[in-house]
Amino acid sequence: MRPEERKGVVARRRDQFPVGMRGLAVDDDPVCLKVLETLLLRCQYHVTTTNQAAIALKMLRENRDMFDLVISDVHMPDMDGFKLLELVGLEMDLPVIMLSVNGETKTVLKGITHGACDYLLKPVRIEELRNIWQHVIRRKFGNRDRGNIDIYEECNKPPNADSDHVHGHVSCVSPDQSGRPSKKRKEYCSEEEDEGEGNTQEIDDPSAPKKPRVVWSVELHRKFVAAVNQLGIDKAVPKRILELMNVEKLTRENVASHLQKYRLYLKRLSAVASQQVSIVAALGGRDPFLHMGAFEGLQGYQAFTSSSALSSFTSHGLLNSPRNNPASLGTQGVPASKSIQTVNGSHTLSHSISDANKYNISLPGSQHGNLGQGLATSLGQTQMQQKWIHEETDDLSTILSGNVLANGMSSTLQNVSPLLPQELVECTQAKIGTQPSVRTTSVNSEHLERPVGVSSSLLDSHVSQQSTVPLSGFSASGLLIHGSFNNSCPTKLGGTSSACAPARSSNDLMVARETKAGASSFGGTMLLPPDMEQKYLNFGGGNDFKQKLDERGADNLIFDWNSVASSQLPSNIGAHHSVSQRWNNSNSNRSNIGARMIGQTSSNASTVMPQMKTDLFISGDMLMPKNVSDLSIPKLQSELSSSSCSFDGLLNSIVKVEKDDVTFSDDLGCGDFYSLGACI
Amino acid sequence: MAAALTNQLNALVNNMFAMGLLDDQFQQLQILQDSSAPDFVSEVVTLFCDDGERIICEIARQLEKPNVDFDRVDSYVHQLKGSSASVGAQKVKNTCIQFREFCQQKSRDGCLKTLDLVRTEFYDLRSRFQAMLQLEQQIQACYPKH
Repeated sequence: MRPEERKGVVARRRDQFPVGMRGLAVDDDPVCLKVLETLLLRCQYHVTTTNQAAIALKMLRENRDMFDLVISDVHMPDMDGFKLLELVGLEMDLPVIMLSVNGETKTVLKGITHGACDYLLKPVRIEELRNIWQHVIRRKFGNRDRGNIDIYEECNKPPNADSDHVHGHVSCVSPDQSGRPSKKRKEYCSEEEDEGEGNTQEIDDPSAPKKPRVVWSVELHRKFVAAVNQLGIDKAVPKRILELMNVEKLTRENVASHLQKYRLYLKRLSAVASQQVSIVAALGGRDPFLHMGAFEGLQGYQAFTSSSALSSFTSHGLLNSPRNNPASLGTQGVPASKSIQTVNGSHTLSHSISDANKYNISLPGSQHGNLGQGLATSLGQTQMQQKWIHEETDDLSTILSGNVLANGMSSTLQNVSPLLPQELVECTQAKIGTQPSVRTTSVNSEHLERPVGVSSSLLDSHVSQQSTVPLSGFSASGLLIHGSFNNSCPTKLGGTSSACAPARSSNDLMVARETKAGASSFGGTMLLPPDMEQKYLNFGGGNDFKQKLDERGADNLIFDWNSVASSQLPSNIGAHHSVSQRWNNSNSNRSNIGARMIGQTSSNASTVMPQMKTDLFISGDMLMPKNVSDLSIPKLQSELSSSSCSFDGLLNSIVKVEKDDVTFSDDLGCGDFYSLGACI
Repeated sequence: MAAALTNQLNALVNNMFAMGLLDDQFQQLQILQDSSAPDFVSEVVTLFCDDGERIICEIARQLEKPNVDFDRVDSYVHQLKGSSASVGAQKVKNTCIQFREFCQQKSRDGCLKTLDLVRTEFYDLRSRFQAMLQLEQQIQACYPKH
């Protein structure tokens, strides 16, 4: 019944999705407008035209639900196309395609930076217009997971359903392309959309008055944190928080669930923080929680923006860390940065992250390659400036709230890896004699950086003689990772919100690899990297990672990943173990350590794992009956849970490390293990 | 009768292509014209003829002013370029590109010269277009309405 109802609601528009897409064409030039209109009609879109930007804006304001897409000329007498673009971007979340005879880079760039999702040159060709529906999908992907999936399905259908139509061409292209690019760019679009939710809900489960989904947007989370802070974390009860937050449609259950996650989150933090208290104090008494809050905001933002479906889980903490690597990175990155600061007083993950964010903001639409360079440079600078870090972290929350976190994150990931080697050198020495917590965090963190940092620390402290060799190994690993990121992560991360799952997976994989690389360098064995690679490949193989490499649609990846995850969930756990064991083997030198690691992991697992497992299984159950597309959401959950578990495990491991005086290698082991777990 | 007219029409259009007045964008328009938009080409061409004339008049007026606002002129030329590009009026479009350079140089003489050129080209094209439209009408008149 539910599917039918859904169909009823969406049918007209989505059954043959690109057909009937409602576009608003704005051009003061009647010739162009006429041609454009005809072209759009020929693509079987529904077209409304106007020759004035002001009228267009009025139409959009009055019937914002009546249009899926805006195509606007750049030069118009009554209102500059850029202005229209800006207003549309501010007031409503619609993809806007700019149109101009003028193809100067500057103008095109201006269009892109103003938020245009595409910039077409006149005379427009029908081939170009046949593809523009992808921007709508992209936007929707950014908004909601479910909705996306629906649309994605729709998009997949056309080949069979509409092949006879003119736009059969489109359909041929669409299934592949729609997914990929949409995820890539989804992030850009995702930011703005919080309102889209309303529609989604109605559309998605019209029949299910069950639980209204709550999207814990940055804003919402801030309110939440503010309320909690006002009440005091110990006295904060859902009801009072709800009162203080004063948000419509938010239920006590929503808050309770969120509070639970938040508490877990704080707990984790405190575990790390306790070790760093002295350091923190030295640094000026910055409240770790505050930072965490900011980051959490980020995470939450990403996670929540990514999907409304996710929001149903409302598990904030869990969602955050597991959900997106970027997010998790952010969280983990904070503690790591702190520790590093204490030790070295400079640079690290936090910097890179913050940079990435900033970078993103400045160049939302820019390409990865550029970003990478920019980040690299900026990172280098950051290292120099301590202040930066603080500022950046502070800024992050705002930035994040403002925008494209996902992009930034992805870029960060890429960029970071190359940077690491250098940083490592510096860090290593500084870190020697550092706290275990720092290393652990780094290890835990899914970023390349952290692993690197870890490795470096390891090298310094333990293998001072080998330092050069290990470093090279690390750099190499970093590079490898980098490559993989380029292929898979950027896209995914870029695509983050819905693409989170893939991103994560890739990240995790990467991390695993790195850690292993580190391990290998550590132990002096080169075997591990290959193993890791194989592992990676295996995972990928299951998931169609190869496609990722091809820079294929994030969609495919996601779906694949999900499917893999669902099917392999039980097996994955086993895989983790095997991996960890491999690790041990590889570290023949450190076999003892490896054993310790295992022991730790297991112990940690005992506490953390239960949750993971349950979550995973649940997700698995959910997944099985549903479509592949549906799977993605539960999958995400599972991932989230797993990742969170890993995070916990890391923290735990850290603590243990302290107790046992276990060496870095131990931490690494844990990190590997967990990261792998996260991979699941 | 109709066949002869059609031949004449084809010759006219082919000649326009051969002379470089039109480019493949015009062919695109022709392809777009089908039962769902039977008069598409003639509509676009008519729009172009009317609008182009308006723009050219506007440009001329702007250039007559003692203090020429070249940005303004440029935006008109840009518009003409846009519509000529959309209709496939290659020659006019190319002249517009030159025109814009003069606008950027703020060369009044250059602008005036190019205006003459673009005007000549435009009216030449327009007369051909009008001939074309006439032929089409005559051809259509030969066939009873479906």
